[in-house]
Amino acid sequence: MTELLVKNAHVIDPLSGINGETMDIAIRDGKIVEEVSAAAEVIDASGMLTMPGGIDSHTHICGTKVNFGRYMSPEDMRAGRTPRRGPMHATSGYSVPTTYGNSYRYSVMGYTTLLEGAMAPLEARHTHEEFTYTPLQDTMANTLFDGNWSIMEAIRDGDVKRVAAIIAWTLSAVKGFGVKLTNPGGTEAWQWGKNVSCIRDPVPYFGVTPAEIIRSVIEANELLHLPHSVHLHCNNLGTPGNYTCTLGSLGLAPDLNPRRQTLYATHVQFHAYGGSGWKDFSSKSEPIANLVNMRPQVVIDMGQILFGRTTTMTADGPMEFNLYRLHHEKWSNHDVELETGSGIIPVIYRRKNLVNSVMWAIGLELALLTKSPWQCLLTTDNPNGAPFVRYPEIIGLLMSRRYRDAEFATIHPDTGSRVPLPAIDREMDWYEIAVMTRAGQARALGIQDLGKGHLAPGADADVAIYPIRIDEVDPSADYQKVIDGFSRTEYTIKRGRVVARRGECVVHGSNSTLWVRPKVSENYDMGKDPEFVEKFDRYYTVRMSNYPVQEQYLNRSRCIETETEL
Amino acid sequence: MMRVNLTLKPMGSWSIPIEAESIIPANFLSGTDLTVWRGNRELGLEEAFSVSVVGGADRAEDVEIVLAGKTARLKRVGEYMDAGKITVLGDIGMHCGNFMTGGTIEIQGNADGWLGREMGGGSIICRGNAADYCASGYRGGRKGMTGGRVEVYGRVGDFLAENLAGGTVIVHGDAGDMPGAEMRGGTLIIHGDCTRPAANMKDGACYVYGTARWMLPTFRNLGTVRHEGRTLIQFTGDVANRGKGNLFVGNYEYLD
Repeated sequence: MTELLVKNAHVIDPLSGINGETMDIAIRDGKIVEEVSAAAEVIDASGMLTMPGGIDSHTHICGTKVNFGRYMSPEDMRAGRTPRRGPMHATSGYSVPTTYGNSYRYSVMGYTTLLEGAMAPLEARHTHEEFTYTPLQDTMANTLFDGNWSIMEAIRDGDVKRVAAIIAWTLSAVKGFGVKLTNPGGTEAWQWGKNVSCIRDPVPYFGVTPAEIIRSVIEANELLHLPHSVHLHCNNLGTPGNYTCTLGSLGLAPDLNPRRQTLYATHVQFHAYGGSGWKDFSSKSEPIANLVNMRPQVVIDMGQILFGRTTTMTADGPMEFNLYRLHHEKWSNHDVELETGSGIIPVIYRRKNLVNSVMWAIGLELALLTKSPWQCLLTTDNPNGAPFVRYPEIIGLLMSRRYRDAEFATIHPDTGSRVPLPAIDREMDWYEIAVMTRAGQARALGIQDLGKGHLAPGADADVAIYPIRIDEVDPSADYQKVIDGFSRTEYTIKRGRVVARRGECVVHGSNSTLWVRPKVSENYDMGKDPEFVEKFDRYYTVRMSNYPVQEQYLNRSRCIETETEL
Repeated sequence: MMRVNLTLKPMGSWSIPIEAESIIPANFLSGTDLTVWRGNRELGLEEAFSVSVVGGADRAEDVEIVLAGKTARLKRVGEYMDAGKITVLGDIGMHCGNFMTGGTIEIQGNADGWLGREMGGGSIICRGNAADYCASGYRGGRKGMTGGRVEVYGRVGDFLAENLAGGTVIVHGDAGDMPGAEMRGGTLIIHGDCTRPAANMKDGACYVYGTARWMLPTFRNLGTVRHEGRTLIQFTGDVANRGKGNLFVGNYEYLD
């Protein structure tokens, strides 16, 4: 039995309804408890800002795509090198660091749970292997279903239950957590040399539209009672004027689940563009935020960009190909058999560039114009918008109008006429930041019942203690203190152990992987469905029996079984 | 003026190269208490070299370092140097003058690979030959050398001035394969022959006074021009990369 007592913590824990109380947190054997014995080890938090461990609900840290980003960018590996130190392995890389680099840097910022945003089912083993070497965070993987042949055929036949059954089989097989749709239908269309321009374009051969895919998969997701909703990367990413398509996509979401949203739209910054081309490119964050404000069934995340060098990586193959044609720099694209695809391009976002300046403003506007912080979460779509190590800068920008104005003065001078940002006065408070970086994520991912994202007794003892005294710091003026404070915790506690202390990771760590096994009846077991099996044998390069990821690949496997309607 | 004489002690049976990024003029203003690395062992400067200092200086511009001994496996000399002078009496190992921004390096013998990699200013003169990747960029980087001047009197190896983005590179002998690959600026002059010059170039000027063999077909011939008393054939390209660079060659042969 190990016991830990965090004394005099200044706690903000939105899911427990705690907004700034000084209290003690008792921890026994990795869980929060009511009280501990006098023998417990004591940490004096002495009034420091204490929150549940951070959760990133959309990041790209593990898997084939990320790894391809690593080896096509040796120059990125030259940045951010750190030598071996204590229990810490050597790390390298800036926008696509090594797995240990990701894990240590997240931990130092107080993050304890991460969701890999896009795992191709066929390549799931690689993702799980890298999870094992991301030791200081619990991990989950969104599984890609955007171009799945069997699903598109089931949708064409109008059989939503079959869609659900395929999702259930695949999630169990690849140990996935949620359902991800990346440019639904688009990557498949691209394999025919095309794309889908919006949600009403049919996918070649299959004849289904992205709208049908989104709607059917949402229904299937709810039939399976999955913890997370459908996680959507809308069609038409990065194109001027794409906001209409985004509004159309968000408008498709019915309100089916009282506990959480029915649709999670990710990195919406990249989907909130006005104009008919790059010359009249502008921000359309307002209509999107207005729609989100009216629809509690929708949660979005920012996908904020920050100026500097990074790497874009996505399952959205056609988008990356178009980006390549724009930049003409090194580029990779990848096809994943009957499932999806991907593309990777290193980029530099520049202040001097008008388009990049407008993009920078849009992300912030989405967060500031969405009234409820529960509906717009803080992300950069790491590393697409910026490496996650820059989250504290975004917190600073959201909390300080003065900081935003100072930054705004340095970007392209024409930005002001194209974005509403200069007119927005809102400055977020500590509670809202806590929602946007952990509590909101936990609710959106449906993992608060698994003890994530809050500090009530019974919860996992994942705690971040930041060296910030919120009654002494005025975030509006002292934004640099806010940035510094969120960049480096005083203590990061994971499963009841101190894992990081003032910028140093102090243990080797051992993560858990959360995955979902929907319980379906015999009739809906796709592993025994003759048509599904035949398709598999005929078109996949692997045998169906070799396809599932064995549990040995998961470090501390944490299976979530769901009761389904199948 | 301050003159620092460093003579590398015989390395015996050691074959591990010495990494000596500390050997730049500015570091000697505050004495000779420096270290170098051999593998994972850190050595004091005096352990590896016989050191003598003549005169004094209070700015790096007035410091000259003279390296003697079997220095062919001494790496990273002059890395990040910004002023002063380094003279190498013999050969020098890899990565000499990495990232240098000012001052002069003169090598009496041959230089190993990556001479003047990613340099931003200053000048390097090599009286002998230089190996591969002379005045180039590094793995994956978009920009190689951005300024300054590299002059090699002998031959150079492959990938000379790869990713050249600024500055001037002059080679009096022949160059190997792929000189000026991915060039995006600057000037590259090869007095001798080479193969496949300026592949994928975007901008800048590449001169091959001798013969360009295996000439790439993705350059457009613009006819002959006079240049410093020579008649050269001017090409523009690389068309495959939407490039607007200029390639001037004395003669050329396409691969059959």
